[in-house]
Amino acid sequence: MEALPENDPIPPVRLYRINAGSCNGCDVELATTASVARFDVERWGCRYSESPADADIVLITGPLTVRVRDKVLRLYGEVSEPKVTVAVGVCPISGGVFRDSYAVVGPIDRYLPVDINVPGCPPHPRALGAGIAKAATLWRERCGYTQPSPELASPGNYDGDAVAPTGLRGKMRFNAAACVGCRMCEHVCAGGAIRFDETDTGLHFTLWHNSCAFCGLCSHYCPTKALSVTDEWQMSHLQEDKYRLVEQGVVSFVPCTDCGSILLPVAPELLRVAYRETSREIERLKTLCPECRQKQSIGGIRR
Amino acid sequence: MMEFKKKVSEMISLWIGEEVAVEWRIDIKGVMTGWCRLQEGTLILPAAEAVACLEGRLSMITAYLSEQAKLKGVREISFHFDLNGTTLTLSIELPLEGARIPSLTHIFRNADWNEREFMELYDIQVVGHPDPRRLFLDKSIDPAAFERLIPYSTFSNGANSKALWEKVMAQNNHTGKEIP
Amino acid sequence: MSTSVIKLGPHQLALEEPMYFRVEVDGEIVVGLDVLAGYVHRGMEHLVMKRNFYQNITLLERLCSLCSNSHPSTFCTAVEEVAGIRIPARAEYLRAIADEIKRISSHLFNCAIIAHIIGQTALFKTVMEIREIMQDTKESIYGNRMDLAANCIGGVRYDLTPESAAYLGKQMERMKGPLDELYRTYATDQAIRTRTEGLGILSKPDAVNYAVVGPVARASGIVYDVRKKNPYGAYDRLRFEVATEQGGDVRARAMVRLREAREAVSLIEQCLADMPPGAIYADTLPEIPAGETIAKSEAPRGELIYYLKTDGTDMPVRLKWRVPSYMNWDALQVMLKGHSVADIPLIVNSIDPCISCTDR
Ligand code: SF4
Ligand code: SF4
Repeated sequence: MEALPENDPIPPVRLYRINAGSCNGCDVELATTASVARFDVERWGCRYSESPADADIVLITGPLTVRVRDKVLRLYGEVSEPKVTVAVGVCPISGGVFRDSYAVVGPIDRYLPVDINVPGCPPHPRALGAGIAKAATLWRERCGYTQPSPELASPGNYDGDAVAPTGLRGKMRFNAAACVGCRMCEHVCAGGAIRFDETDTGLHFTLWHNSCAFCGLCSHYCPTKALSVTDEWQMSHLQEDKYRLVEQGVVSFVPCTDCGSILLPVAPELLRVAYRETSREIERLKTLCPECRQKQSIGGIRR
Repeated sequence: MMEFKKKVSEMISLWIGEEVAVEWRIDIKGVMTGWCRLQEGTLILPAAEAVACLEGRLSMITAYLSEQAKLKGVREISFHFDLNGTTLTLSIELPLEGARIPSLTHIFRNADWNEREFMELYDIQVVGHPDPRRLFLDKSIDPAAFERLIPYSTFSNGANSKALWEKVMAQNNHTGKEIP
Repeated sequence: MSTSVIKLGPHQLALEEPMYFRVEVDGEIVVGLDVLAGYVHRGMEHLVMKRNFYQNITLLERLCSLCSNSHPSTFCTAVEEVAGIRIPARAEYLRAIADEIKRISSHLFNCAIIAHIIGQTALFKTVMEIREIMQDTKESIYGNRMDLAANCIGGVRYDLTPESAAYLGKQMERMKGPLDELYRTYATDQAIRTRTEGLGILSKPDAVNYAVVGPVARASGIVYDVRKKNPYGAYDRLRFEVATEQGGDVRARAMVRLREAREAVSLIEQCLADMPPGAIYADTLPEIPAGETIAKSEAPRGELIYYLKTDGTDMPVRLKWRVPSYMNWDALQVMLKGHSVADIPLIVNSIDPCISCTDR
């Protein structure tokens, strides 16, 4: 008779969920990772636990409201060490759309150490799975398990099925060449995820994905579609990368070809919106400051 | 429809003891809303009785404090009732300081939460509420949150967002701090 | 009578969200109830006054993920009313489609939870899998499984191409069999009937007195549906029955929801058939003058009402809304009284309570 394998089988990693005042979007999606076959956390060698004392990984949703804070911290404390903490959705990571409220005291890392962030609003169950898989690996490392569980053997598996779900509203992309600096995106953004900084070299655009609600409103109102929605959903990351998850771009200033004063060039996308076709005549106006442009087109400055 | 409108203003007039005029608006779908401003805050009690006689239901209560009203030294509350699909809004003005209004809980049970809620958000006292405890606000938040917290929160929140953005900018290329 | 008080939290109540109950019991029997709210209070009515109308579209969609479309669409309707904007007919149908899709998913989630509480794990998973057809549909058409981002001031920001309309039609076809089957199961399965029939009864007079709304009201025989009483958007042209039951118990509330889910499939099909071509939104950046208005809609949990006051700037002076759940909590007093503590989760979930909506 063959001997049984020497190694003990790896026990399942136990997950515990804490709702810190969420809109329930993240929670309802987490529920699918316990009830829908294709998203089930079992494939990552995990299962859900009903009690914090019997858990290894804590999943926290919501922006952390004043009133729920003590309850959250108490439950968190009941989870035995070593534990791995996952912030699920942009709410616990940055406060999300609720950041400016008197009733919100997050981000959660002000009160407890976070290991992994899973941005999204809410994140796709696959993204949740990927974050949970990362957390499970981290927890096993912390506990000194050397052998990876079979499902996790190939690193490619961390991300779940490789295919992006069709038409998913994922990470936003910025195309500086098309930006006209109208800042409409910043104006409509509920997450406070977009920021412009003006320097002498140009207009610097920064979008922090961890503050983004992935609503696409910025793209909708962007006159030149310098902002566009991609279907990239895999964004879970270690806490140390929290502030590096950005999209940046610079709209460089150019000197006016006539008088030399500094101006924001007109994006070809805007010309296309305004004139349908761009002619050479219009092209030339692109690099003129408004005053010189006026001079060119009406032959003198109006007083 | 004429009859309905007449019935409503007559009933309210009867209960509060003076003529009231309700302004009726009809939207493109033919849905009607009625709007009426009562002369005094306490009149809301008999007016609510009138709505109850019309078999209306309390839909919502909105307390608010507009800059315009503040200049006049008043605050406002609008009571929205449902009359079988028609929304009737009765508005009253109350003084900025020491605003008091009678509870409607003995006429409409569901006034309970509505009143508890505006009591914690605004400086308004409800007389005769059976259970005037806080409803949603944590003990640690100052009373009359919407009146006192506005300036405070602009300050504190700005701070929260600012701290986060500083970290974002510090760890990425464009610091935006190049302007001398 | 010697009564004691027990405190129940989300885990005991089988809720996804933090809400606490102080229940007065006589032995195992419930005699009184105090609902402790506010754990999901995010100060949203304050936040909306600090944000412009555009930001509020996205913010309000995050009020609650289960009825997430009802909020921006009703808010946009209010803004449009103040600004005198008439949205294109196509946009009205597209809004109705988004609302009905959300209604089906929301109702199915509640049915799944009911099965879970009864201990019917297989049925729970079946309902969740059926719901996945809706989740896939939302994701393919709108880009997210919960938050559709369908609305903008003046209309909608998504359109259906002939291909996506055909896809939606096919998905609706796929829903019919399973929804009919579920209705049969919840109506006839002996184990479910034993647990739900006669449980948590709210009589019609009590329903009127407690002013409940939505499926809770309709399950107690109140024929009230905002889509009929107060038509908005495309609903003045769509044909549907108001689902009503007389039992007033846990079962009746589940039956109302399952019938509404089935009815929603038909509403979506009507929209697909009747929707005219054309623009999907009116003016992009309208001026919003000073004014005040009321906008109402029938969210999955019932009547939703918004009050908007503006002063000509691009931020609301006051935006107040009352969600359906807000009206229904109190009626639990009646429903729970005399039942055993063990039945609390089932009765509570039968009002399909939403805490993030209630607390804001
Ligand atoms: S991250 Fe988005 S979906 Fe998740 S709880 Fe927050 S608002 Fe809701
Ligand atoms: S998608 Fe754009 S508008 Fe929406 S939250 Fe993200 S950055 Fe802001």
